[in-house]
Amino acid sequence: MSDTWRHELEAIRGEALASLALASDSKALNEWRVEVLGKKSALGQMSRQMGGLSPDDRRVLGEALNRVRQELEQAWRARQAEIEAKEKALRLERERIDVTLPGRDVPLGAVHPISRVIEDIEDIFTSLGFSVVEGPEVETDHYNFELLNIPKDHPARDMQDTFYLTDEWLLRTHTSPMQVRTMERMRGRTPIRVIVPGRVYRRDEDDATHSHQFTQIEGLVVDEGIRMSDLKGTLEAFAKALFGPSQRVRLRPSYFPFTEPSCEVDLVCVSCGGAGCRMCKGTGWIEILGAGMVHPRVLDMSGYDSSRYTGFAFGLGAERIAMLRYGISDIRMLYQNDLRFLRQFRHA
Amino acid sequence: MRASYKWLAEYLDLADLSPAELADRLTSAGLAVDAVEPLNRGVERVVIGKILEVRPHPQADRLKICQVDVGRGEKLEIVCGAPNAAAGLVVPVALPGARLPGGVEIRIAEFRGVSSHGMLCSADELGIETRYLPKRDVEGLLILPEDLPLGEDVVPHLHLDDVVFDLDLTPNRSDCLSIRGLVHELSAILRRPHRFPASVPGPGASGECPIEVRLETPRCPRYEAQVLEGIAVRETPLWMKMRLLAMGVRSIDLVVDVTNYVMLEWGQPLHAFDADAIAHGTIVVRQAREGERLVTLDGQERALTPDMIVIADPEKAIGLAGVMGGENSEITPSTRRIALESARFDGASIRRTGQALSLRSEAQQRFEKGVDPAAVSNALHRATELLVQLAGSHPVGAPRRVPAEADAPKPTVISFSPRACARFLGVDVPEDEMYACFESLGFGVARGEDEWRVEVPARRSDVQLPADLYEEVARLYGYHHIPATSMRLPVEAPESSDDLKLVRKVRRALVDWGLCEVRTYALTSPEAEAPVAPSGVAVPLLRPMSDDRRTLRRHLLPSLAEVARYNLAHQVSGGAIFEVGKVFLAASWPQDALPEERAVLGMLWFGEREGHPFERPRPYDFYDAKGVCDALLARLGIQVAYRVSHHAYLHPGRQASIEVGGVMVGTVGELHPDVGDRYEVGRAVYAEFDLGRLFPLASSEVRVHSIPRHPASRRDLAVVVPLGVESQALVDEARRTLSERGVLRMVRVFDVYTGVGVPEGHKSLAIALWFQRDERTLTDAEIDDAVKAVLRAWETAFGAKLRS
Ligand SMILES: [Zn+2]
Repeated sequence: MSDTWRHELEAIRGEALASLALASDSKALNEWRVEVLGKKSALGQMSRQMGGLSPDDRRVLGEALNRVRQELEQAWRARQAEIEAKEKALRLERERIDVTLPGRDVPLGAVHPISRVIEDIEDIFTSLGFSVVEGPEVETDHYNFELLNIPKDHPARDMQDTFYLTDEWLLRTHTSPMQVRTMERMRGRTPIRVIVPGRVYRRDEDDATHSHQFTQIEGLVVDEGIRMSDLKGTLEAFAKALFGPSQRVRLRPSYFPFTEPSCEVDLVCVSCGGAGCRMCKGTGWIEILGAGMVHPRVLDMSGYDSSRYTGFAFGLGAERIAMLRYGISDIRMLYQNDLRFLRQFRHA
Repeated sequence: MRASYKWLAEYLDLADLSPAELADRLTSAGLAVDAVEPLNRGVERVVIGKILEVRPHPQADRLKICQVDVGRGEKLEIVCGAPNAAAGLVVPVALPGARLPGGVEIRIAEFRGVSSHGMLCSADELGIETRYLPKRDVEGLLILPEDLPLGEDVVPHLHLDDVVFDLDLTPNRSDCLSIRGLVHELSAILRRPHRFPASVPGPGASGECPIEVRLETPRCPRYEAQVLEGIAVRETPLWMKMRLLAMGVRSIDLVVDVTNYVMLEWGQPLHAFDADAIAHGTIVVRQAREGERLVTLDGQERALTPDMIVIADPEKAIGLAGVMGGENSEITPSTRRIALESARFDGASIRRTGQALSLRSEAQQRFEKGVDPAAVSNALHRATELLVQLAGSHPVGAPRRVPAEADAPKPTVISFSPRACARFLGVDVPEDEMYACFESLGFGVARGEDEWRVEVPARRSDVQLPADLYEEVARLYGYHHIPATSMRLPVEAPESSDDLKLVRKVRRALVDWGLCEVRTYALTSPEAEAPVAPSGVAVPLLRPMSDDRRTLRRHLLPSLAEVARYNLAHQVSGGAIFEVGKVFLAASWPQDALPEERAVLGMLWFGEREGHPFERPRPYDFYDAKGVCDALLARLGIQVAYRVSHHAYLHPGRQASIEVGGVMVGTVGELHPDVGDRYEVGRAVYAEFDLGRLFPLASSEVRVHSIPRHPASRRDLAVVVPLGVESQALVDEARRTLSERGVLRMVRVFDVYTGVGVPEGHKSLAIALWFQRDERTLTDAEIDDAVKAVLRAWETAFGAKLRS
């Protein structure tokens, strides 16, 4: 009797395992489970029929049934895991996307190159202990010229053709009036170390190298014992910070009414590194700013006794630096605001 | 200022220095040489020849066949087309194999069956700047002096073997506007002595000067005049013509050329009058009279003003002092007697006169910047000497000098400390070196222990202070000797302005949100601003350069709209831009106060917003702009309210003012369609903030508060209200209603709907309310009660009905 049971059980087990191997997706697997392990399954019927057996047979068969059931359940679980893994892999494969398509747009603006240059220069000089101040764009003749040692009818006024609003008021032609305003504000205190960025205006026809509006950055240092060599040292530190550690500066004598001595300051050509190229006209140097020791008369007029205090001042054009730095050949590009141009500065 | 190398070399030994080396030395001493130009622009194998015979070309009317002697015994047959070719003339002859400027090479060539063995040359063909030559030297062949040796190279005889320095002199160095001044300077730079006379003796004629001079204005401190009689020769010698040409001065006739030549040599402008045109033999130097007019040498009638100095006789003005002579006293071919003027005039006055009349002569530039007082007499003597030599004139009487006793020009004495100088420059220049600098400049030095007395001659009027002497030392010793040193200054945190930091913060934020920064011109026109109709008046420039840029801007929108228009016209489909700039405001103009400068942030969204490439671009709208405003204000820590506003340049239904505590800090709105059309930008949205008002409200301080532990409950309400009710009003009303209960954490409108199910003239607003207390969880009953209170309040205030 028990042999018949045993054979039947073995047959069920063998068939079930064979069909399990054929089940290839979750649906078939679920059907298999109902068919093989459910109440209406052959195993279920067998366990219900066990009621009529002797207690010994019942125990033996019960154990055998349980073993087979456990084995089949385990096989089912293993198969289920296998299929799930396969299905997941399939699903993931179906979910494959074209990763080379562009990402969702995060709009990116750009800082204007002139602002970029001003910010960098401000950062360099603030790290050297300078403060940043700003001043009015509408100035008086007094501050723009007279207190800078450029009296009326002085030939040096030709160096800066001026937009006047009235006989006395004008659009500042340089940021230098802030030298005087700063000294007046400081009322004799020292040291003075400031830079002044700002828009300035001159009656120049706009062309590739001239603009009736441009941006200057003025620098001023006043204290006892400031030397012309300090001017050179400061500007050299600035040049290295802005254009790299191999930079050097060269001073050439020049003239500004509000500095004495005055100089033009050259940098090693950023294009050829000093070897000589078209940009530097073969000299290896490019002119970058004007500077000098604050004129004694300017110091005296601003309340600093020139027999005690000395100082230096410099003024550079942000446009010129931007043009050198970014390879811009026409200053008008900086005021045209073509977005195709400006967007090139997204990462600047 | 141009300067001839050969002329300089007459007074200074330059044999060991090439022109390029000399240019370097000048530049590094502060006299920037812009260009070094050889006068000979490529003339080779051109010799002096004499036309012996001219006959017509048998085949061509305009050509002539010339027999030319080039000094080798044989005659060259040369075909020539110049109308002035004639037997007996000495002319430049380009031999076969010769080169002319522009790379032209001369070969034996055939012209209609006659072969030509060279070419007879004009001035232009020799590369000579013909604009500096008198007309007769420019038309046809260049006719040379008859006494030139035939067959010799034409270059040295034409004085083309010279080099010209083009100097970009700074305005303080008027002393270098002359050959003598430059020689003084070179003598200092090169430390070698010059060899010119310190003064020129007078002509030796004695007797009374036939001209009286009366000075009636303090603006002429000195006037000297010399009368000469007879002008036998009126043709300027070749060497002088070529020297003037090298210096960039046009040759006119001998008398004028002599005055110019002496001006170039001494820096002292001179003028020659026809002495017989001076009524009553009396020169009066005075201020012009109101309404007085004078026809100047250029044929223009000039309206004079009392600010101008005129040279006059007792009847009429005969010249504008220092600027230009009068036509009525011009030297003409019939002039018999010349009155030469050498004088000093007030520079500022000369400058104003030149500006008023838009004249800018060489003489005027020298007077403006100052001439050497010691040159007045010398230049007059030198010109007299040259006219005697070259024109065959005779001086009549001695020069008239007013005032009779000239004050000897006083040197400036400066006390100088070599130690202070070295300290100031930051380089130990040896004292002997400093001494040598001053000596080579012609400055007198009395050396003391630590205090020197330096006497600066009057010609160097730019040197007045110790700092000026420091500069002389520095530039002659060499700026390259100055080391780069560090300042010994205290370490101090720079005082930095909050506004600058905030501008940076705003700039970063806007750029991160996709806006591009622009920088535009502050000069505009009332027409460009008209669509915006800003308040107040536009402040005009006195002398604008163009109508488009004749006033200061009062508003940023026109500038930004111009950028948008430009971009839309250049294949940019849209964008968002901003500028931080100033506007200039005045209630009236002229007014007593300077225009107010107001810092403004302006933003403009125009055209289409491009999103993901698969999404369809859409036009920017009001809420794009408002979103940026909201985010920006959040970044600045400022709470604002938006209120309906009424600017005519904005869409009447799509604009708001941005207010803090009732004070307007900004505006946001879509452009009025008419304004969009006038600026050619279509639909665009503008926003601006008055930074002077906004920034003081900004805060970057953070005080964290604890995160609530008890859960919040959200209730969504859909209410129907008339279209005119603004959502903010419902939000405010809900807050007000529940303010005392302290249960409402947040209110947010999350949908607006009109259409099916909502009555005409109404809209449905979906509003979420979050209820929360810090200390405990709210009960449903409490929340329901609060919701009811809100609904009641909305109904009372706005007739809001809960949407069913
Ligand atoms: Zn280079």
